[in-house]
Amino acid sequence: MASLGTIVHFSGHYHFRHRLVLSILSGKSVRIDKIRPDDKNPGLRDYEISLLRLLEKVTNGTVIEISVTGTAILLKPGIIAGGSLTHDCPLSRSIGYFLEPVVMLAPFSKKPLHLTIRGITTDDNDLSVDLIRTVTLPHLQLFGISDGLELRIKKRGSPPEGGGEVQFLCPVVKQVKTLNFVDPGKIKRIRGISHAVRVNPQFSNRMIEASRSILNRYIPDIYLYSDVYKGEESGKSPGYALSILAETTNSALYCAEATSKPGVAPEDIGLQASRALLSEIKQGGCVDRKHQTLVLLMMTLGSEDVGRCRMSAPTTRTIQFLRDVKSFFGISFRVATADPSDPDCVQLLYSCYGTGYVNANRSLA
Amino acid sequence: SARAEAASSRKPRRKDWMKLIYSTNLSPEQVLREGAGVSEVEAVEEDEGDDEFFKIKKRATGDEETLDMSKEPLNSDDLKQWEDEEMLDSIRHLFITGSSGSGDN
Repeated sequence: MASLGTIVHFSGHYHFRHRLVLSILSGKSVRIDKIRPDDKNPGLRDYEISLLRLLEKVTNGTVIEISVTGTAILLKPGIIAGGSLTHDCPLSRSIGYFLEPVVMLAPFSKKPLHLTIRGITTDDNDLSVDLIRTVTLPHLQLFGISDGLELRIKKRGSPPEGGGEVQFLCPVVKQVKTLNFVDPGKIKRIRGISHAVRVNPQFSNRMIEASRSILNRYIPDIYLYSDVYKGEESGKSPGYALSILAETTNSALYCAEATSKPGVAPEDIGLQASRALLSEIKQGGCVDRKHQTLVLLMMTLGSEDVGRCRMSAPTTRTIQFLRDVKSFFGISFRVATADPSDPDCVQLLYSCYGTGYVNANRSLA
Repeated sequence: SARAEAASSRKPRRKDWMKLIYSTNLSPEQVLREGAGVSEVEAVEEDEGDDEFFKIKKRATGDEETLDMSKEPLNSDDLKQWEDEEMLDSIRHLFITGSSGSGDN
C-alpha cells in the first residue's frame, strides 16, 4: 500500500526518468508539475506515459495520478516486484529510453525480472541495445550484480518503424557492494558491434574498415563484429550502426556509437563512432560520461561505508542527478579533484557514504 | 611562512564543485561554465517580478525540446579535432602500448 508521506516536488519535464527511479527506490512520493505548460502540445509525451505504464508493471502498488491536462503527475511508489513482463514501446523513443531506468530498479525487485520489450533497438537519442548489453550491464557487475544478468537481442528494429525485440533478465540482490574504483588502468582492447538491416550488408564492412583506419594505430587487440539479422528478425525499417567500446586493464569501459543517416556514407558513420570513442577515452576516468548517473546511484545505495570513483567532470544530467539524490536520500557526494598535486588534472574523485540500502522486497525462497 | 605564501599564490584556484552543485541555484549548464577561482558565486537571476516585460528565456526560443537522454548528441566540432594527427597521437599514453616505449604489451 503506498502511503503519501514525504512528497518531493519538481517542475518541468527535465530529468524525468531518474526522478521516477529515485522516488521508487527511496519510497518517497514525487510530484512533477509545469510539464511543458506553454508548449503547442502541453503535458506528457506518449513515451513518458508509456514509461509510467512500464513502471506500474514493474512495481506493485504504485499509484500514478496524472492531471487532466497532463501537465502534472503524482507518483506514490509501491514495491519493485519484478517477475515476467512484456512491454510494447511507442515509436517515439527507442527501447534504451525505457530500459535504462528499469536497469536501475530491477536488481532490487522481489523476484528476478524477465522483461520482453519491443520497439526500436537503435537510434541517435538513447543507448542502443548493443551498448546496454556490452557496457551498461557490466557496470552492474561492479556492484555485485552479475549471475543471471543478461540482455538477449531477439530482433532488431531501426527507426522509424521499429519491429525489434529484446529480453532483459536481471537477478535480485540483497545489497549493493561498496565501490572503490580510482585507477582506470590503460586500454587493452577494443570491441565493436556493427549491424545493417534491410540494406546492403556491405555497409557493415565499410563502417568497420573506416573505424579501423583510425583505431588500428593504438593496440592490436581490436575486434569489430558484424551482427547479422535477417528476415523478420531485422525489423521493419532499413538502418545500420556501429557501436564500439574500449576496455582497460582494470575493466573500465568507454563507449560510443553512430547510427545511419540519409545522405551520409557508411564510412562516415564508422569514422564518427570511432572519433566519438576517442573523445570518451580522452575524458578518461573509470566510468564514461553516459554511465555516470548509474554508478553514482549504485554508490548511493551501497553499504554504509565510503565509496569512491574517479570520473571525468559531471555532465549537466549528472549535476542535476546529484542534487536530486540529495532531495530523495539526503546524501551529498564529495566531488573534488582526483589529484590535488597535479594542477592540470581534470578528473574528479566522487565519494559518498552509502545509505546501506537493503532490498526488503526480495522474497526468500 | 614566506614559502607557504609563495606556494599558495602559485596554485590555481580550483573549481569548488561541491559548492556549485549543492549550495547554489545555478543551472547545471552554469555550473559547468563557472571557472575556477570564482569566489563570489551569485544565485541565478530568476524572473524577479518583472512582469511588465517578457523575458525571452533561451529554452523557450529553441524549437527543439531538451530530451531526457543519456547519450550526448555527436558534436561535429568535437569530432573534427580528431582529424589532426597530433591529436590522435596525444592519447597514445592511455593505451597499454603507450608512447613511452616502456616495454609493456
